[in-house]
Amino acid sequence: MHSTGSPLGLEAVAGRNQLRRLQAHKHPPPPHSLKFHSDLQSPCADKMPQVKIIAKNFMDMVASLPACKLDKLCESPFICEAILRSLPPLAKKYVLQLLYIVVPIPAKSFEEWVLPDGLSKHRVAIDRLIQLRVYIETIDRKKETSYQLNPTFQINLQKQLIHGGVLPREPMPLNVRLPTLEELETYTHEQWECFLLQLISSTQAERLTNFSFAMMKVFQRGLLSQREKEAPRLTENGFQFLLMDTNAQLWYIIREYISNAEERGVDPVDLISFMLELSFHETGQAYNINTLTEVQIITVKDLANLGLVKLQQGRKDSWFIPTKLVTNLSVSLSDSTTRKQGFVVVETNFRMYAYSSSKLHCEILRLFSRVEYQLPNLIVGAITKESLYSAFENGITAEQIISFLQQNAHPRVAERMPSVPENVMDQIRLWEADLNRVEMTPAHLYEEFPSKDVFDSACDFARDYGGVLWEDSKTMRLVVKADIHNHIREYLRRQK
Amino acid sequence: MGFHGEKNRPAKKHKSSKDHHYMVHDEDSYYPEELEDNNRDGEKEGKKTDFTNLELKPDHANRPLWACADGRIFLETFSSLYKQAYDFLIAIAEPVCRPESMHEYNLTPHSLYAAVSVGLDTETIITVLNKLSKTKLPKEMIDFIHASTANYGKVKLVLKKNRYFIESPFPEVLKTLLKDEVVGKARISSENANGTDGFTISKALGEMRSGHDELLTEAELATAAEEKETHSFEIDPSQVENVKQRCLPNALNYPMLEEYDFRNDTVNPDLDVELKPHARPRPYQEKSLTKMFGNGRARSGIIVLPCGAGKSLVGVSAACRIRKSCLCLATNAVSVDQWAFQFKLWSTIKDEQICRFTSDSKERFRGNAGVVVTTYNMVAFGGKRSEESEKIIEEIRNREWGLLLMDEVHVVPAHMFRKVISLTKSHCKLGLTATLVREDERITDLNFLIGPKLYEANWLDLVKGGFIANVQCAEVWCPMTKEFFAEYLKKDNAKRKQALYVMNPNKFRACEFLIRFHEQQRGDKIIVFADNLFALTEYAMKLRKPMIYGATSHVERTKILEAFKTSRDVNTIFLSKVGDNSIDIPEANVIIQISSHAGSRRQEAQRLGRILRAKGRLEDRMAGGKEEYNAFFYSLVSTDTQEMYYSTKRQQFLIDQGYSFKVITSLPPADSGPELSYYRLEDQLALLKKVLTAGDDLVGLEQLEEDADDIALVKGRRSMGSMSAMSGASGMVYMEYNTGQKKQGHGLMKGKPKDPSKRHHLFKRRYG
Repeated sequence: MHSTGSPLGLEAVAGRNQLRRLQAHKHPPPPHSLKFHSDLQSPCADKMPQVKIIAKNFMDMVASLPACKLDKLCESPFICEAILRSLPPLAKKYVLQLLYIVVPIPAKSFEEWVLPDGLSKHRVAIDRLIQLRVYIETIDRKKETSYQLNPTFQINLQKQLIHGGVLPREPMPLNVRLPTLEELETYTHEQWECFLLQLISSTQAERLTNFSFAMMKVFQRGLLSQREKEAPRLTENGFQFLLMDTNAQLWYIIREYISNAEERGVDPVDLISFMLELSFHETGQAYNINTLTEVQIITVKDLANLGLVKLQQGRKDSWFIPTKLVTNLSVSLSDSTTRKQGFVVVETNFRMYAYSSSKLHCEILRLFSRVEYQLPNLIVGAITKESLYSAFENGITAEQIISFLQQNAHPRVAERMPSVPENVMDQIRLWEADLNRVEMTPAHLYEEFPSKDVFDSACDFARDYGGVLWEDSKTMRLVVKADIHNHIREYLRRQK
Repeated sequence: MGFHGEKNRPAKKHKSSKDHHYMVHDEDSYYPEELEDNNRDGEKEGKKTDFTNLELKPDHANRPLWACADGRIFLETFSSLYKQAYDFLIAIAEPVCRPESMHEYNLTPHSLYAAVSVGLDTETIITVLNKLSKTKLPKEMIDFIHASTANYGKVKLVLKKNRYFIESPFPEVLKTLLKDEVVGKARISSENANGTDGFTISKALGEMRSGHDELLTEAELATAAEEKETHSFEIDPSQVENVKQRCLPNALNYPMLEEYDFRNDTVNPDLDVELKPHARPRPYQEKSLTKMFGNGRARSGIIVLPCGAGKSLVGVSAACRIRKSCLCLATNAVSVDQWAFQFKLWSTIKDEQICRFTSDSKERFRGNAGVVVTTYNMVAFGGKRSEESEKIIEEIRNREWGLLLMDEVHVVPAHMFRKVISLTKSHCKLGLTATLVREDERITDLNFLIGPKLYEANWLDLVKGGFIANVQCAEVWCPMTKEFFAEYLKKDNAKRKQALYVMNPNKFRACEFLIRFHEQQRGDKIIVFADNLFALTEYAMKLRKPMIYGATSHVERTKILEAFKTSRDVNTIFLSKVGDNSIDIPEANVIIQISSHAGSRRQEAQRLGRILRAKGRLEDRMAGGKEEYNAFFYSLVSTDTQEMYYSTKRQQFLIDQGYSFKVITSLPPADSGPELSYYRLEDQLALLKKVLTAGDDLVGLEQLEEDADDIALVKGRRSMGSMSAMSGASGMVYMEYNTGQKKQGHGLMKGKPKDPSKRHHLFKRRYG
């Protein structure tokens, strides 16, 4: 059983070489985190900067694209601006500084700009610029490094900054009342819940989204086990997915959506650039669907299923309305929305009261507790040893449960320190620790030794290798670690 | 849904379920229904408890509770209406758990009976509940309240001039009752019957009810001050209990109210006592008295207050209001002394008006009214008595008592109650207890033997108010040493399991560490509890501390307790389970429990109660004060043994009251060395040998001490071990030691092998 510290172990994803090693080691690999990268592995991906990528948000994903795809993305002035916006402050400055310079600048000159204590920020900025292929790194014969703005990026950004961008479409003038921002938010929320419920159990969902069965299966892979003749069951990652906050979940789904693009015959670059484009639209405005390409129309429909845009149909036209989620997409999904209000109260007697009417919440709570009462706006449950054990079995860790309870603490108890009673937290951890008291070591048992001497010498031999797990000289039996089995066998054979 | 709330409760489940099989021989902690509980089908349960269809009221945020169709009620404690809602709910429903933010209650027929008997009627209950509820009340609940209360409050049991009458304003109800065989047989036909059906008719003054709180006033007035005709018939005093039981909700469903109109009682002489001016009942004590005397009469029933919250003041106040002769029953001689003391402390009672009746002191009060304090055993004892006792008991039997005050009602077995109640005639019975839980689930017996629960205080509220100590509870996990655990797992050591996990050297060291820490670092007074007599002696001898157990005489006990209270050198005492109840040790503020009676929730709560009396200044004790926690309760358990399972079980009651147990896994500290006992392996092995060679009767599972005063659950108890062990006399040797208190300590520790001929006369018959 492996325990990755953070949800889905995303930060474990490293440069490609490292990645392959990971894949070779872990069996089975955590499907989602690795999947995505291997999908995007395309022929031109031979030269990728060897930098750690923490794919927590949209731009991280963009950064992890192969160079040729990145270059393609730079062709759109909007994407150039989006990339600029996403950069750390110092990196932004570096871009603007080189905006009109067409010759490579030696790395040494850069370093002269920086005070010694700013060096780490400088490195981060440069690394990021190289990742995104905003800067092109060149190393000359004297092994001197110098940087230059990516020419496509440079030209497009210049254009964008001087002339201002013109979106392919303008808001439609309509005499229909459009939904208010609050209404949009509610819509987003409902749509998302509905999607999640369908995702984890299609029987619980009151209504279904319009995602195709195949598409749903794509989202579910990695979250649900899909063995034949068996009802789909949440996997370890599925459980962890449900305990994550909405942004992280949304991000996961979007990533799956993009990485699956090629299977659907869509170029992921088109998808990414369309989504970045969408982020320049105005929240709450209506945009005519006619302005979209065929692929984009399909995409917009899918995004509507997730609650990222709202589709509406008038008498003649149909239009889509971007929600806050989609306009914030490029900024950073992990910190775009405001914190949701908590709803869970945990008592010292292991009772749990959740102020929620959401079926999804109920399903999530069921993952690690026994739900006992469901009232119109309250779910009553109990955290029991049994319920926790089944959670642990499914790969949820005590820490995840605790952090879920803490993050979602009802305002009544949120200011109390700790928001989850100490004894409950301790007990959850102790119960988990209880399960880890037994350590499994693959081993081999040897018995029926021909003589005491052989037995003793075998014991000595095994001891030299540090592989004795148990020995009993009375019955002449010996248990050794599996990895020295071959040596012992060889040794015993030689004894004969 | 049954009337004990536990049934559908989630529980912090066993820590080691494999131990489950071993505990079957202990009936006190074994509940058949728990098996069902564990096997319950999750899905079925989900459907049964889905009440999402209830209609939410628009202003639900301002209302404090949810009510479910199955009788469960959830109450938000942070609501602005919490106080009112709490008072109301505690009157109509049974609390299931009351932690900080959310309380749970169950509506049961018995709880509604209690509600009616304190003067709430069906409509009031429904209206108020509806007002407080966030949703529309489920129809099932309204129907349930109607069905349960339709007949309530219609029949009363009245004691007049030593004769029992059943009274009702509705003759047809009486007719229904008489159709029942039991009631019919119990009837005593009177010659001067003047009603058409042979009922005695009299005019009773209508009740003036005093409102419970603002919420209820409207409905109150309707029934007030009208004259009612009451019909009645007399029943055989010996059948009273049977008749009462027949009338309970599970049979005829006409529960009888017992009320005593003491103000108009001119037959029985008055007792001239009142509370002293310094006796000021606290708000919750006042409230419980209001429930009892709500309509100017005295109702019979039970008042539940945590230990240390001042139950005795409530009892004394009740006696002072009724002002008639009072019979006060306690569990043992020590608490008899304490009750007599409390009466003198709080009331103006004169010495000659109060007397104690125990095996050691046979006093009689002078005058025609007075207070008698005695033990249940003294009254219920069926054997031959001394001439003097016989006379006193005769007096007790013949007197018509105004108030029968019963302490610690949860400990006394039902049959003992029956006997006491059938032997004595009283107008009003008041039961006091801290923990209305019984491991034998006989708690409902109390409903008809004494009366409904009149009031139950919320522990956490009292802690917050600074009325009782804020206790830090901890469960200390002591790993078994390898050698002890190996023996523990052996089949042929089944009988020694308890001794093995109690004598676990790691536990001993943890105990020693805690004693040292609290004695030396904090200057605390410590009680160590051990049920296992073998362990008790071993621990006490090794650590050179005084101990009290069943066989310790009354005089010795008093001396040891006195030394503990006053001497600076005696800071720790070891108690067997005789110390569980009613020994008042207000000085103690630390409890270390090294062994206990299996899964008894009540024992755990009672033991905690020993340190609940609030100490120090109020402002220090309040949250955030200097000494937020000034009392400590440690329960030492050996990990991976059945103790773990019991421990979880035992804590349930306290956890339901909002206490939490912190698990400590690091005691004794890893760096502790030979300064604590049993550091060296040889010592541990020697101890192990001692445990293994000790007689079976010493280390067996059950150690009953049948003290003359102590009442254990005798009925249906399987007893193991030898007779001598049961009497607590099996080769017990008292050690002599010197802790520095020279003369004082002398004598009280003297070895005193029990000679059967010296046993209390009550015991000669039983064990002699």
